[in-house]
Amino acid sequence: MQPPFRRLLIANRGEIALRVMRACRELGIETVAVYSDADADSLHVAAADLAERIGPAPAAESYLSVEALVAAAERSGAEAIHPGYGFLSESAAFARAVEAAGIVFVGPPAETLAALGDKLAARRSAANAGVPIVPGTTIALDEGGAARDLAEVGFPALLKAAAGGGGRGMRRVEDPEGIPSALAAARREAAAAFGDGTIYVERLLAPARHVEVQLLGDRHGNLAALGERECSVQRRHQKLVEESPSPALTQAGREALAGSARLVAGTVPFHNAATVEFLLDADGRHYFLEMNTRLQVEHGVTELVTGLDLVAWQIRVAAGERLPAEVLRVQPRGHAIEVRLYAEDPHDGFRPVAGSIGAWRMPSGPGVRVDAGVTADSPLPVEYDPLLAKVLVHADSRPAAIARLRRALEETLIGGVQTDLSFLRWLVHEPGFVAGDYDTDLVAERWGDGPPVAADDERLAAFVAHEARLAATAVPQPASTAAAPDRPWARAARRDGLRRAPRR
Amino acid sequence: MSDLELRIADRPVDLAEGWTLTWLDREHGVVLLRDGRESKLALAEGVGADWVVTLDGRRIAVTATTWRERVLAEADVAARTHAGPTEVRATLPGLVVAVAAVRGAAVGEGEALVTIEAMKMQNEVRAPRAGRVATVAVSPGQPVASGALLVLLE
Repeated sequence: MQPPFRRLLIANRGEIALRVMRACRELGIETVAVYSDADADSLHVAAADLAERIGPAPAAESYLSVEALVAAAERSGAEAIHPGYGFLSESAAFARAVEAAGIVFVGPPAETLAALGDKLAARRSAANAGVPIVPGTTIALDEGGAARDLAEVGFPALLKAAAGGGGRGMRRVEDPEGIPSALAAARREAAAAFGDGTIYVERLLAPARHVEVQLLGDRHGNLAALGERECSVQRRHQKLVEESPSPALTQAGREALAGSARLVAGTVPFHNAATVEFLLDADGRHYFLEMNTRLQVEHGVTELVTGLDLVAWQIRVAAGERLPAEVLRVQPRGHAIEVRLYAEDPHDGFRPVAGSIGAWRMPSGPGVRVDAGVTADSPLPVEYDPLLAKVLVHADSRPAAIARLRRALEETLIGGVQTDLSFLRWLVHEPGFVAGDYDTDLVAERWGDGPPVAADDERLAAFVAHEARLAATAVPQPASTAAAPDRPWARAARRDGLRRAPRR
Repeated sequence: MSDLELRIADRPVDLAEGWTLTWLDREHGVVLLRDGRESKLALAEGVGADWVVTLDGRRIAVTATTWRERVLAEADVAARTHAGPTEVRATLPGLVVAVAAVRGAAVGEGEALVTIEAMKMQNEVRAPRAGRVATVAVSPGQPVASGALLVLLE
């Protein structure tokens, strides 16, 4: 097969940059990595055929710099740019600048990014297309009318940024007294994150489940709905675990959801990959939330159940290829679950932690896939998202997938920083999760900051520390001197040894 | 038996019995634990008396002190008496987006000093007590690590 492009630049970092590069390698496309000064030694740079420096560590001056990225693509002779997720992936201005430079943007058309990036306009179009939307306003809130609008919508309500996404600029409002401070905070955060402080309001649907539909379209009018992903395990409105199929949907509900997703996509010119997100209430009714015009973090879940390489298809349809019948009519098979490993402390409100990775052991074996952006001893720059890796499993049924996930997480070991692994290991035994009975309140209601350390675990930890301290002070083993580890203290010890050698 | 005393959260803890420990990767502190019924991977990271043991993904801070270290620590506590200025530190890593604190200015308890963007949210760091701003250690646009000094209050 002729490669769709000769050379492609990946305007991203971390695990998603590596993921896109793997697809490129399989397609015979040369890869160009970009990196900020904080990432010069990172895995995605080492994995690429070529690498271009795009600026200093702050994202605003590197991974978010349209100019620096387009210049890097031109310098390296890239024919296409894949934006990954986050950063500029949904920026219409970036897509336009890329196309203006004669380079193919691997994503939906710029006008579509612009139309759906305005979440408020997207709500209006979805409603006009006959798709149910979460109850709330379809016009921007202003300080004068906010109290009246919120009273109409009902409490608790959720303030959201029109330019938003990913939980930014969102504030929960419990009662009328909370409106002014929540509105000010949401506006400030939205303005800082998106340069646009426009806020609208939705009723907070709770309990609810968060379910989304993967879409893939070509430039010839073919559109595939590739099943759904259940994403209800969240903290701060951001996902931690995704699975497909959703344990909450009946076949009729699944078809209705896919139908609504197609209707939303029909409101704009569309090709490439996108995801339509919905909330599902306790009665199984669905409500449109937003449409994300990019690859999602959790795309691998759909890849496992469909057997399709979504990233490869993004690149192929960007080059003009048609989606064949086997993609358009693919039947998902089995059950897939993804868990995200974050450098966050789940025992302290999922607070991000900085530092360096120490040990790094990832699971393997049948039905297990790991997409990682770091390895042993990787530093963790504070400037970027704390996502370290995703562990995905696939099996014939949901119970088999959970058993496989438990096994995979028992093989997983990460040193240096606290991660959400302790939460995930709790989750895979949590009765509600195991039964498929959970919603977006699971983390807040059933986990909180997690259970205290069990007395048995405290005694075991004491035993391990005791043995470790004794081993550290013991005479070094002959084996360890034979292959002296290249660590600062070891080097210093060797230097000291030399200095202490008798002098003449 | 050693003279090590093991403490977690400043409480003495007995050692688990019946377990064996095998080192899998000394450089990174990877150990295999077995008790005849189950085996599990764990981590022991640290130096001197301060260790972090990771069990089932959870980091547990453990101190393992010798008799000599305990005697010295007691003497040290007795020597430290004065109450100094208050250091306001970052409780989470992020990006400083605004600095309200001005050197030399008086601040009341709860007054916003620095705004840090982290977890995709803006978080205000407030004065833990009333005082005067002696030092402002950060400026807008600066990334800070958890524990970084932000402001010194007198």
